[in-house]
Amino acid sequence: MISRRSLLSTGFGLLAGLAAAPVSPVQAQVETDPAAFVTHLANGAMQAMVAKGLSDQERATRFRTLFTTDVDLVEIGRRVLGRYWRIATPEQQQEFLRLFEDVVVLTWSTRFKDYGGDLRHTISGVIDDGERGVTVSSRVERERQAPISLQWRLKRVDGGFRVIDLVIEGTSMAVTFQSEYASVIRANGDRIEGLLSALRAKLAELHP
Amino acid sequence: MKTGKQAKPLIAAKLATALMALVFVTGCATPPPESDPEAVAEWEQVNDPLEPMNRVVFDFNNTLDTYALRPVAEGYRDLIPAFGRERIHDFLQNLHAPLIFANDLLQGEGDRAVQTFFRAAFNTTFGVLGLIDIASAAGIPLHEEDFGQTLAVWGIGEGPYLVLPLFGPSNPRDGFGLAVESYADPVGIGLSNVGYAEANWGRSALDGLDRRTAMLESLDDVKRTSLDFYASLRSLYRQHRAAEISNGGDQTPFSAHPSSETAPR
Repeated sequence: MISRRSLLSTGFGLLAGLAAAPVSPVQAQVETDPAAFVTHLANGAMQAMVAKGLSDQERATRFRTLFTTDVDLVEIGRRVLGRYWRIATPEQQQEFLRLFEDVVVLTWSTRFKDYGGDLRHTISGVIDDGERGVTVSSRVERERQAPISLQWRLKRVDGGFRVIDLVIEGTSMAVTFQSEYASVIRANGDRIEGLLSALRAKLAELHP
Repeated sequence: MKTGKQAKPLIAAKLATALMALVFVTGCATPPPESDPEAVAEWEQVNDPLEPMNRVVFDFNNTLDTYALRPVAEGYRDLIPAFGRERIHDFLQNLHAPLIFANDLLQGEGDRAVQTFFRAAFNTTFGVLGLIDIASAAGIPLHEEDFGQTLAVWGIGEGPYLVLPLFGPSNPRDGFGLAVESYADPVGIGLSNVGYAEANWGRSALDGLDRRTAMLESLDDVKRTSLDFYASLRSLYRQHRAAEISNGGDQTPFSAHPSSETAPR
């Protein structure tokens, strides 16, 4: 147990060292190769998830950085709101994006927090749809549990890629959020304000 | 053994009657006016005209889960060491093999049927009656199949979303599949024939416990972070089911459409 932990932290130390060092070939690969981009992002996320001795706040900060650099949360948020995006006032749109970012960061930064084991991420396939984007399939292997299959939907941007959806075991993060939020809006008489206040209440509840 | 066989249709009939009564009490959800095509599209995607009733059953299940099922699953996890739970899981999983094999065949999935067959052969012999899943380690991965999926492959639609008491998210097709399996499971029939029908009930209960325990974290997580637990689970279930039916094949990617929950073929 102890030896595995120390081995694990050595591994993470190495990874962190790699990330910090000015390795331009890696950076170049991350910008042109979707598999390298996903590997880089997944390692960063898993590191933030399972790293020991991080405060909840630090964990959240790391995730916020990941989500704002490698994930296109604005585009995801827009799609999540779907047809309601067009009805929303610019102020409501802005507030929604802000709240949505907070919810996503808090949701992901507490996931796997208590999972003490090792996570291994391997790429299993890349489908390049050209203009329409790239889908990278991968799996996360956990100790003593069934592996989790992932699909990362990427779009091309200047200087690399951005994630626009993550499909976990066949369930899309964007579709699930969209379906849930539409239900909340409908339950509040088709008012976007209803969703915004529900998001505010949820955030107050989630904040440590 | 006879009581076990007779009790089932009775329970099923009572359950169906109770559900029908609930539909009358709670009524159906009101569909949006046809003048709003986007709302209509969304309504069709969500596929939940019985939402008022489903929410009542969902609340019942949720209460049952909070006060009975989840605590039992937690106790099971705390009490039995991981090694023991894995052996139980592998054993139960191996007992599913005949059912998975039958469904592989019914779906015309020859390769997968062969996989299932050899998995069971390895695990039952070298894996000591299925206690150790050595087939996975040897490179023959597990896959799940059930009769609901077979019906889907045969082109039968899912029908409206339906929350079943105790069993949770489902639909008429998958609920029917579940009922058929409770009669036609080769292992269950075998146990009944040798006079151990009760053992099969015990197995089903343990199966449920095993599955609930595996979902402890993920379900807690959804419940904690979602705004509408019911709507989240509905979406997760339907997407996951569609992925299972297509055997993890390519799903419709998230597109520009306002709502693109992939409907099973």
